[in-house]
Formats: sequence, C-alpha cells, structure tokens
Amino acid sequence: MTLPFVHADWAAIVPVAIVAATGLVVLIADFFAGREGNRYVSIVFGLLGIMIAGYFAARQFGHNYDAFFGGFMVGGFATVFQEIILIAAAGSIILYATVGAPQRVAGMSAIMLWSACGAMLMAGAANLMMIFLGLELLSLGLYALCAAVDRKTARESALKYLILSSTATGFLIFGFALLFGATGSIRLADLVTPTLAVSPYFWIGAGMFLIGIVFKLSLVPFHTWTPDVFEGAPLPVTAFMSVATKAGTLAVFARFIYAALPPGTAEGLLLPVWIVAGISMIVGNVGMLAQENLKRLLGYSGVAQVGYILAALAGGTPLGLRYALYYLVAYAFMNLGAFAVAAAISGDGEEGAQIASYRGLARRRPWLAAAMTVFLLALAGLPPTAGFLGKILILSSSVSSGFLWLGALLIIGTAISLYAYAKVIRLMYAHDEGEAREFRPFVPLAWTSAAICAFFVIAMTFYPLTPSNVLPLVR
Amino acid sequence: MALVPLTIALPLVIGALLYLLPREDKVLSRAIGAIAAAATFAMLIAGRDAQWSVRWLARPFTAAFHFGATPVGFWIALLLALCTACAIATTRVARTRDFVALLLLLEGTMLGLFLARDLLVFALFWDLMLLPVFFGLLSWGEHPATAWRYFIYNFAGGLTLLLATAAFGVIYGSTDVIGRAGAPLVGSWAPWIFAGFAFAFLVKTPIWPLHTWMPPTYSGLPPPMVAVVSAVQSKAGLYGLLAIALPLLPNYVHQYAVPLMVLGAISLIYGAVVALVQNDAKRVVAYSSLSHLGLIVIAIASLNPLAIKGALVYIIAHGLFSAALFMVLGYVEEREETRSLLRLGGLGWKNPRLAGALCIAALAALGLPGLAGFVGELVILIGVYQAGYTWPVVVALIAIIIASAYMIRLYQDVMNGPEVEDLPVRTDLTWVEGLAVSPLLFALVALGVDPAPLLRL
Repeated sequence: MTLPFVHADWAAIVPVAIVAATGLVVLIADFFAGREGNRYVSIVFGLLGIMIAGYFAARQFGHNYDAFFGGFMVGGFATVFQEIILIAAAGSIILYATVGAPQRVAGMSAIMLWSACGAMLMAGAANLMMIFLGLELLSLGLYALCAAVDRKTARESALKYLILSSTATGFLIFGFALLFGATGSIRLADLVTPTLAVSPYFWIGAGMFLIGIVFKLSLVPFHTWTPDVFEGAPLPVTAFMSVATKAGTLAVFARFIYAALPPGTAEGLLLPVWIVAGISMIVGNVGMLAQENLKRLLGYSGVAQVGYILAALAGGTPLGLRYALYYLVAYAFMNLGAFAVAAAISGDGEEGAQIASYRGLARRRPWLAAAMTVFLLALAGLPPTAGFLGKILILSSSVSSGFLWLGALLIIGTAISLYAYAKVIRLMYAHDEGEAREFRPFVPLAWTSAAICAFFVIAMTFYPLTPSNVLPLVR
Repeated sequence: MALVPLTIALPLVIGALLYLLPREDKVLSRAIGAIAAAATFAMLIAGRDAQWSVRWLARPFTAAFHFGATPVGFWIALLLALCTACAIATTRVARTRDFVALLLLLEGTMLGLFLARDLLVFALFWDLMLLPVFFGLLSWGEHPATAWRYFIYNFAGGLTLLLATAAFGVIYGSTDVIGRAGAPLVGSWAPWIFAGFAFAFLVKTPIWPLHTWMPPTYSGLPPPMVAVVSAVQSKAGLYGLLAIALPLLPNYVHQYAVPLMVLGAISLIYGAVVALVQNDAKRVVAYSSLSHLGLIVIAIASLNPLAIKGALVYIIAHGLFSAALFMVLGYVEEREETRSLLRLGGLGWKNPRLAGALCIAALAALGLPGLAGFVGELVILIGVYQAGYTWPVVVALIAIIIASAYMIRLYQDVMNGPEVEDLPVRTDLTWVEGLAVSPLLFALVALGVDPAPLLRL
C-alpha cells in the first residue's frame, strides 16, 4: 500500500520541513568554515532558518491545516506552540556564541534544530503515532545534546535522561496500546466516544498516558531527574530543554484534555493531574531554596512553573488555554533571558551556571545585572513583568473555574520562591565583593538575546498577547 | 490629558537617568532629585482633577491603566512629593547618586499607587514600591536580614492582595473601580476577598501582630528613605482601607469593625509602651508610628464620617511629623555618630535651630493644640465617640498621655541634660537642612491652625 503525499500535507508541514532543512544547511555551511569551525556561521544560518520557519508558521495561524489523514493539525493553538518552540530554539542556539567548543557548534546546532522539529510535530500531533514520533525525535536529539561536552556530569546527565525518559516513554506507549485497544483507532478525536467512559482499557490507558505526560513535564513525583539533567547538560541544551520539551508536551496534553476526552470523564481522570500540579508548585519552589547552581535552580523553578501553567488549564475553559499560552510565552522569554545572561558571563567552563559567580555583577556589568533582575522578578511574578500579569490571569482562571485551592497553592509557592530568586538579585547587587572576578567582555549575540527577552518580558505586561481564537482550532 | 501619567513617569524616568551621572557625583544628583520631586508636587496640584485611562485587559475582567487623583489620594500624593523633595535635599549617604535615584524610583512607584484608579494597577504598584525599599535595605541597611524580613512580610501581603484582586475582578467584572460610585460587592466570595485585602493592608500599615518587620526596617534604613517610607509608604495600607475596602466592601468593614478596633487599640497601647522604653532614637519614632497608625485604623473601622475625616487629617499630620522627626534625628546622628538615647545629650544648648526643629516635630507628635496632630486626634476621638464606641476613646487617651511621655523623653535625652563631653562642638542646622525640614514644620503649623482644606472633603 502506498501512502499518498499530497499538496495539502506539504502546506501543513512547511515550517517543520524548513527547520529540518536548516539543520542540513548548518552542517553544509560548516564545511566552508574552516577546520576549527566558526560558531557564528552555524548560529547565523540556524537563526535565519528559524526566522523563515517562524514566518511560515505565523502565516498558518487562523487557517485549518491538516495532514496525514488528520494525524497532524496546525493553524490554531498548535501554531502558537510551534512558535514558542522556535523561539526556544533560537534563544538556545544563540547561546553557542559563548559556550561549547567551536568545532562542535555546527553539529550541536543541527541536532538541536532536529529536536525542535520533534517538538513541533508534537505540537501539531492529532494521533497517537504522531505524538510518539515527535516525542522520540525530540528526545533522541536531546540525549545526544546532553552528552556533547567533555564533562563527567554531562555524560551522567545524558545517561540519566536516556534511562528515565525511556521509562516514561514506555508508560506512554503502553497507554497508547491500551487506548488503541479500546477504540480501534489511533486518532485522538476517536476517543470522544461516550461508550468509552465505562471502558477499563480507556481508563488504564489514559492513566498511563498521563503518567508519561507528567513525567515529561517533570511534575512531582517524577521531577527528580530534572535538576540533575539540567545541571549536567551544556548551557544551551538546558535552555532548550527547559522550554521546548515543556511546550511540546503541554501541546499534547492540551489537545488531549480539550479534544480527546469522552464526555463525563474529564473530572475524574484529570483530578490527579491537578493535584500533582499543585504539589509541584510547592515542591519545586522549596527545592529551589538550597540550590547553588543556576541550572539546578531553574530546573526546580520549571517544576513549579509548569504547575502554574497547568493551574490555568484546570478549568478546561477556552480562556484557561489562552492564559496557559500567555504564561508559557512569558516563561519562554524569562527563562531564555536568564540563560542568555548566564551565557554572557560564561566561557567554556560555564561559570555563569554558578550562582556564586553573580556576586558584584551590578558594578561590573550593570546592564546584564538589570536584565537578570527583570528575569528573576518575572519568574517570581513581581511587576512590572509578564510574570505578574500571567499570575493574575492564572489566578482569575482558577477562581472562575472553582479551583481556588490551586490558586492558593500558587500564592504559597510564589511566596516561597521569592527568597530563592531574590537571593540571586541580592548577590548581584552586593557591595561586599569577595574576590574580584573578571567577567568576560561584551558578547554581542548573548547580550542582544538578553535584551530582546527583557523587552518582551516587560512589554507583555502592558499588552497581553493572548491569541484570541485558539480553541475552535484545537480539534 | 496625560498630565497624571506624566507626573508618575517623571520621577521614574529622572531616577533611571540619574544612573548616567558620574558615580561619585553628590551635589548635582541631589539638586536634580530635589527639583524633580518638587516638580511632581507642582504637577500634582495642576493635575488635581485630571484623569487618564488606557485599556489594559478585556478578559477575564476589564482593567485599564486608569490614573487620576481621588480626594484622599491627592493629599497623600502631595505629602509624598513634599517628603521626597525634602528628604533628597539633605541626603548624605555613601553612593549618593544611587541613593537619590532609588528615592525617586520609590516616589514614582508610590505615586502610581496613590493615583491609580484601577485595582489591578494598584496591586501592580503595590508590589513595585517594595523593590526600592528592599534594595535600599540591602545596600544601605544595617543588616541584610532586615531586608528579607521587610520583603517577605510585605510581599506575602502583596500576594494576598493579588489573589483578592483576581477574585474581585472575576466576580465584579472590572477592576476599574477606585473612586467610582458602584454597588458594593456581596456574595459568598466577598468575605474572602475582604480578608485578602485586609491582610495586605494591615501588614503594610502595620498593625499588631503583623508589625515585626517594621522596627528593624525603620531603624535600619538611612534617614532620608525612612522619612519617606514611614511618612508615606505606611499610608498605603490605610489608603487601601479608605479607598478600596470602605466603598467596595463596607458590609465587611462594618462586620469586622470590633476586631479591627481591637487590633488598632492593641497597636496603640503596645506601640506607646514600647516606645517609652526604647533607647534607640529611631526605634522610639518607629514604635510611636505603630501607635499612631493604630488610632487611624480605629477611626476607619468606626465608619463614622467625622472620624474618617479625622483619619485623613491624621494621615497627613503623621506623615509630616514622622518625616520631620526622622530627618532631624538623622541630622543628629550624622553629628554625634550615635542615636542611642543613653549616649546623646545636651545638643540643644549650642544648637538652638536643631533643637527647635526637633521640638516642633515632637510636639506635633504628642498632639499639642495648634499643630496638625492635635486636630487629627481630636476629630478622630469625637467621631469614634459619636459612633458609639467609648472604650477605644479611653484607650486612645491613655496612649496620648504615654505619647507625651516618650516624646518629651526623646527630646530631653537628645537636646537637654548634660552635654556629651567627649565630642567636639557640632555645627547647628545648616541652611540647606533648615530649608529641607521647614516646609514640613510649616505645613504642620498651617494645618494645625487651619485644617479646613483637609476637613472639607
């Protein structure tokens, strides 16, 4: 049997295809960059490809594209997720301007682009196969990326990620098999059958599927891998993982809860997820308190932030999805910005990953310190940043959908997190500089990235970018 | 007309621009800062009735960047501009430029708070105004732990304010409500929303037992900043009670009037008694603040119109005299290098102008007739009595007697008594210092003689 590959399919996957092709272009361009390699060639080509893909993805927004017999659907909320993933890829590849051996940058950028393809496929996935395909493409790239630096912790990180992530994928696949057994179809849309609400295959299958999702989102109790993997992986990879993995998985989760649940099952099936999200807000924020490594700190912070995003989805309302997207965009900018600052003061040793190295930054590099302050305030949810407005939106969503306890946990978690973020701010503005540290000179790309992120983190407060008509296009 | 947002933006922009000056510059940054603060004073008067609004959110509730002075907010904002100008003029701390810039940022964020007509904007500036003080405590404070305590307490209040604001917006449909005659909020959520607001406001005021962040903060901050914080930032909670809780949730203020009054009365007595035994001059004033602000909470909780008018007078009066006290005590500390009442003494014999300034401020604080503090106290007591509450009046009268004791003790220990012998002769109040503190003292006398503009509201 041959599968027809029609023009409509192409139209849907153009952005993904461009990103994939860009990976090849980066590799070929590197041939001409000399033996030692030139990191800027890879970065510039990578960014150009991402921008072109972003343009085509943006053009899809508002139209319904569907490819591979309904297995891949973009144009609605999936497009927003794809843009977030592209932003994450761009913001991460830029970081290779300061870290990573030059001869490796091309290869790592290419793998990162292909990983991004996987995440973009997940964002548009509308059947079980496509979810799995996207997830594996994303993860395979990440395993390699985590190990791509000569450090013992990096190898440990890659191995840990490989083993634990495979376990989660096992759950996911087993869940898929049961779901397929229950419906006889791999299409998510076919799950919306009233008779399934009493099928044990559906309940067990969906439960295992959700366990896999919760693992990938690194929520409690499956969060313990996150800080270790984040710490070991190279800085750009950590930045990419912290946003793109979450965005891809959240897209799948959102499509599942909005478009693939048999009537009447949502409440019972999803309640454990909301509980887990609530616990994650507390555990993630408490975990941050004792950290001395920025990557670990942001790993724990990510555990809590995903909890916040899920709180927006808890009501299953159209507005909730918009607020989740708003917060995710804001989170992408604040996280990538923080990593950009870390990269701007790092060399190959990744000094910027150590919180202690921020001591006295405000005197030596006042603009970087100011940008970092903005990102940390945003992560803590203080004004005048998008984190503040995002929290307001999530709180109002949880109030109106009756999940006040999630709102209360969010408040408590935020109060705890404040100390961890403010500790870094305090260190930057400390006047009792210990041993004077030399910060590396101006790195245009990393500084620009930090500046752009800071701009968006502040500007989004005043102009909330909530795409208006995403929900009708979920299905 | 965009005059109101310009008034808020002016100190913020000038404050940020100050960082472009050379780091060591003192005179120029002080001059620019004082002029900028004075300019906001003029702009506030010019823009008294102006309003300005730009749409912010359409969903989940409507919100707008809506600015414009409410009657109460207008007076507090004027107080803020005056105190900031006076405080900046005599700033003498290390890293003057950064400090002046921070004071201007503090002024701008608080102006935003007092001129906000939208609850969400109010909450935004509420959190924002904590940051300059936090950085001030970190950089110039005596102990970093103080900064944390200040920040954690007040931010916890800010978070409950945020949750309450979100809930309010969802239920009410709009947060563009400050100073607008609308139906009060009712329903099963209303008590919780009131609780969220009340917690934030009472932490910020502060009120016993939520006050523990306050004494170390006030004694740790440099004098110019503590003058602004004690005079104006502590009024944010009271302003919230007056402008938000009273019009929007009157039933709950009424329902919880007695608990509020009890807390106010405990603060009133507790602050006064502790002030009596403190040996740190700044802590005496800090605890006296706790005591005075307790009286204002009683006044607001009584819901009597006269008492509320008195509360406004006393808010302004307390701002003026506490700013003056902290500034003059700052001058004393600069000269004597201590603020321990056990070591200080006899300063007044050779420095009559310094003694005079402290004397007027202390007399206003203890409620001498003819000064603004007296008017406020008297009107509040009459109003609370009219409302049918006798016991708070009795408690307040006792506290006022104690106030005389600790204020006179403060003055005696600093200015009278045997001269400190191991110290050389100190200069009297310089003309810049005199110029800086005299507007506050003049306003105390003027409002004491003729409080009509405040009572007419």
